[in-house]
Amino acid sequence: MANKETVELVEQKAALMRRHVIEMGYKAGGRGAHFGPALSSIEIVASLFFGTMNHDPEDPTMADRDRFVQSKGHACLALYSALGEAGYITQEQMDTFKGDGSFLAGHPTRNPQYGIEVSSGTLGNGFAVACGMAKAAKIKGEDHKVFCLVGDGECNEGVIWEAAMNAVKYGLDNLVAIIDRNFVQLAGTTKDIMDVDIEALWRAAGWDVLVLEDGNDATSLLDALEAMKASSNGKPHMIIANTTKGKGISFMEGSLNWHARPMNDEQYEQAVADLENAAG
Amino acid sequence: MNKAALDKLQDWSAAGHRTVQADTLMMLAAEHPEVVALSADLTPTARLVPFKDTYPDRFFDVGIAEQNLIDFSAGLALEGLRPFAVGLAAMVPMRPAEQMRAAIGYMKANVTVIGLEAGVRFGPLGNTHYAMDDIAVVRAIPNFTVIAPSDPLSTHKALYACMEHEGPVYMRLTGGPGYPVLYPDDFDFQIGKAIEYRSGSDVAFVACGSLVADAAAAAEILESKGISTRVVDMHTIKPLDTEMLDTVFAENRLVVTVEEHSPFGGLGGAVAEYKAGLAGAPKQVIASLGDKFQRLGDHKFLMKENGLTAPDLAALAEANL
Ligand SMILES: Cc1ncc(C[n+]2csc(CCOP(=O)(O)OP(=O)(O)O)c2C)c(N)n1
Repeated sequence: MANKETVELVEQKAALMRRHVIEMGYKAGGRGAHFGPALSSIEIVASLFFGTMNHDPEDPTMADRDRFVQSKGHACLALYSALGEAGYITQEQMDTFKGDGSFLAGHPTRNPQYGIEVSSGTLGNGFAVACGMAKAAKIKGEDHKVFCLVGDGECNEGVIWEAAMNAVKYGLDNLVAIIDRNFVQLAGTTKDIMDVDIEALWRAAGWDVLVLEDGNDATSLLDALEAMKASSNGKPHMIIANTTKGKGISFMEGSLNWHARPMNDEQYEQAVADLENAAG
Repeated sequence: MNKAALDKLQDWSAAGHRTVQADTLMMLAAEHPEVVALSADLTPTARLVPFKDTYPDRFFDVGIAEQNLIDFSAGLALEGLRPFAVGLAAMVPMRPAEQMRAAIGYMKANVTVIGLEAGVRFGPLGNTHYAMDDIAVVRAIPNFTVIAPSDPLSTHKALYACMEHEGPVYMRLTGGPGYPVLYPDDFDFQIGKAIEYRSGSDVAFVACGSLVADAAAAAEILESKGISTRVVDMHTIKPLDTEMLDTVFAENRLVVTVEEHSPFGGLGGAVAEYKAGLAGAPKQVIASLGDKFQRLGDHKFLMKENGLTAPDLAALAEANL
């Protein structure tokens, strides 16, 4: 069971991260941002960075750090906001998001010095790369874990299933993947675009699967991550976390319109008001 | 050309290539029952919502699955349908490159693959979203025709030409909102037949995609300095219009190829390959995105950074003349 302090820390960081997502995305102006995809992932990423993962912003490339691979790269703001809160990157650097010459692109670009392990953006690849990193840890006899954030729509990609089978073949029980199941992809709901029972598919592929009814709840996430991190049952682990796309912003929650777009002043004010109300 | 297209020109120029291709696919679908459109979870991005709503039985979203997009389209085509498979240029010819070869090129399937936002149009999204290698990859597949139209009406006419064409086509699209208009009225567009946009005898810009407009602006700059400049809209990169190139090589002192692509295997590469077999052809300079991943920046920034703005192109030509 996750201890109370950790849960509180994750919840507090999640609130701060949401605010960073809005600020960075708003500052990007006409360049826009993937708000909805980042907001559904916030508690997952916060739980990893402020609860589950062994890492040290003072020593970002230490050999035994747990690796985080964001395969749904378009939700980079969830990662950047965590990196900001953890101290890998400064507020000044966050302010350059999507700007000319910035290293914080609209999709993560590998930069281990700042805590970005893998470049992603073309869906499916990050997950398969994470499997390779988990195998490498086994080959080298290292104990760290590899965590990978995947989208539910992303599971449409063929390479996801190629890698899923491969991960079982090589018994990658040091790999914990988390699907941010927000039930929406780019052009519509997952039901409309590709109505499949992903839980059954992951089980059929041979993964150790756990479904979280509330994937925006820090306690359930921390418990699930802890259990899977500790388990060495010879199977790769999958947490299917049911979330809400655009979580925390009234006009974005569950919306098909907030996959990626610019935010105007009025929307910004509403978003900030929503976050301030939630903080009480 | 149908009048509806001319009537839409202002809107098309304002909206950019996504809207031009989507509206044109609607027109083609109305005229040809065998036309079907496909996307891989990009229907709104590709402006295909009206197509989907109007022709629900002739529109297929295969999910985020570009390899399947290509193979499925090939199957439809082999049975007589005319699929237009629309995706992002950064994803669609690259992830399923092998499917493009085996299922489309090899079997001469009548599929038109449309790559949106080619080159570095997706600026702030970063390098995974740039298509700097798509021409090179598709050009190397036998039987494929590769087209990069330069303006709204040429995009429209190119799609009509695809409908009449037998064989696979890859169309890469570049001009965004503010798509420059080079052809305000109806004009002759034929696959494989380049258009001399402006004549001139010193420099020749041979360009493709929306950079033809920048080459034309560069030509104005050179003309003002007394350097006579030809501009060729080489909208079809394969098959290359070698007749037009023969004229250019005979009459111009310097050839500058211009493309939003790697210097390898694109338009510049194609021209150089042809030139390699000719004696006495003039010097060629390749203006391109360079052999590198890009620094992050918006499209304008990246054009400047890569020397692809009109003043840069004019300076490059002048320095090499
Ligand atoms: C290979 C590839 N194809 C298409 C895209 C365009 N794209 C970006 S995000 C997205 C939808 C992703 O949906 P999902 O995985 O459910 O993530 P969510 O945004 O819902 O968090 C698509 C199709 C892409 N980035 N990569």
